[in-house]
Amino acid sequence: MVISCGLKAENDTLFVPSVRVGLDMSGFARQFVEPETVTGEVSVDVELQENYFAVLEAGMMAVDVKKETHRYQAGGYFFRLGADFNILGRTPENPNDLVLLSLRYGYGTMDHEAPFIVIPDPFWGNHQTALPSEKYRAHWIEAGMGLKTELFHNIFIGWSLRGRLLVASTKDPAMEPYFIGGYGKSNGNTTLMLHYHVLYRIPLR
Amino acid sequence: MTAALAILLFHSCQDDEICEDLTANNLRIGFYMIDQEDDQWTVVDSLRVFAVEKADQPIHDTLRFISALELPLNPSADSCGFVLDFFHLVDTIWLTYERKTHMVSVECGFTMFFDIKKTVYSTHHIISLEAPMTYVTNDLDEHLKIFLPDTVNGN
Repeated sequence: MVISCGLKAENDTLFVPSVRVGLDMSGFARQFVEPETVTGEVSVDVELQENYFAVLEAGMMAVDVKKETHRYQAGGYFFRLGADFNILGRTPENPNDLVLLSLRYGYGTMDHEAPFIVIPDPFWGNHQTALPSEKYRAHWIEAGMGLKTELFHNIFIGWSLRGRLLVASTKDPAMEPYFIGGYGKSNGNTTLMLHYHVLYRIPLR
Repeated sequence: MTAALAILLFHSCQDDEICEDLTANNLRIGFYMIDQEDDQWTVVDSLRVFAVEKADQPIHDTLRFISALELPLNPSADSCGFVLDFFHLVDTIWLTYERKTHMVSVECGFTMFFDIKKTVYSTHHIISLEAPMTYVTNDLDEHLKIFLPDTVNGN
C-alpha cells in the first residue's frame, strides 16, 4: 500500500505519501455538558491515491449515571472503517488543506446494566427493580463532510459532520442503550454528530 | 480560508429531551355506543373508578360527562383489575399483561411499558370490550374500547 503511494508520488510533487494519526477532541468537550458519558477515539488515515484516503477510527465509551431514581452503567468499544475523498484537490497555495467527503461502516459492542431502578407511581406506589448486564451490538453506516488544515508543520486540525443510519442492532434488548459508542445517542435510527480532530502527519518519504 | 472554516465547535448536536409525557404510560379507554356505525365516543353521565386491589382509594371519584378515561396499570404486578361504577350498575375489568422496563433517558429515568395479553370483564352495564392497541407505552393511543348500551333507543 505504501509502495504504491510512493510510485505515484514520483510524478506529483504536491502529493506526499503519509500516514496521519488523530485524536477526536469532541469526547473531551462532551465531558463538560454530559459528564456521565466518557468517550475516547483515535483515527488513522492513509492516502492510498492522491485525494483518496483509507480511514480507520476506533475508540471506547463508558457511561455511569447516578440519579435518585436510577443508576445506569455501560462500557464498550467501537470502530469505523471507510474512506475520505478530498474534493478540494491540491493546489500549490494550499497543498495541505482538505475538504473531505466521508463514508464509513461502523460497529459497536457494549455491556450495559441498570442495577437500581425506581419507577415512581402516584397511585400504586414506587416500583423498584433492576436490569442485569446485557450485551448490545450495533452496525451502522455513515456519511458526512469535513475539513482538515495544517496548523503547524505536520500538525492538523479539523472537524467533520457525520450523519449516521443504524442498520442492525441487538434484537429485543431488555433495555435500549442510552449511548452507543461511535454512533451517539440511540433515540432513533439516525443521528447527527460533529467531531473535532487534532492530527499528526507522519511523512513516509 | 480553510483554516477559517475549521470552526471549533465543542459539542455534538443532539436533541434535547423532555421528561413530561415521556414517562406517562396510562391505559387509555374510550367509551362507545353499541351498534353505532360511526366511530364516535359516547358520553358517560357519571362514573367512579377504583382498583380491585385498592378499593378504599378511588382512582377517579365521580367523573361527570366523560368519553375517555386513563387508568394506571400496576407496575409491580402482571395483572390488575378496575371497578367501573356507573352508579346504577357496576362492572369489573381484569387485565393481564407483560411488563417491560423502558429507559426514557438519563434525566427522566425509567418507565414501565405493558403488553396486554388478556382482558376479562363483567357485563352488567358493559356490552363488550375491544383492545385495538395492546401495547401500552407513552404514545397517545387508545388501548381499549368499551361498548355501552344505547340508552336512548333502549338497545
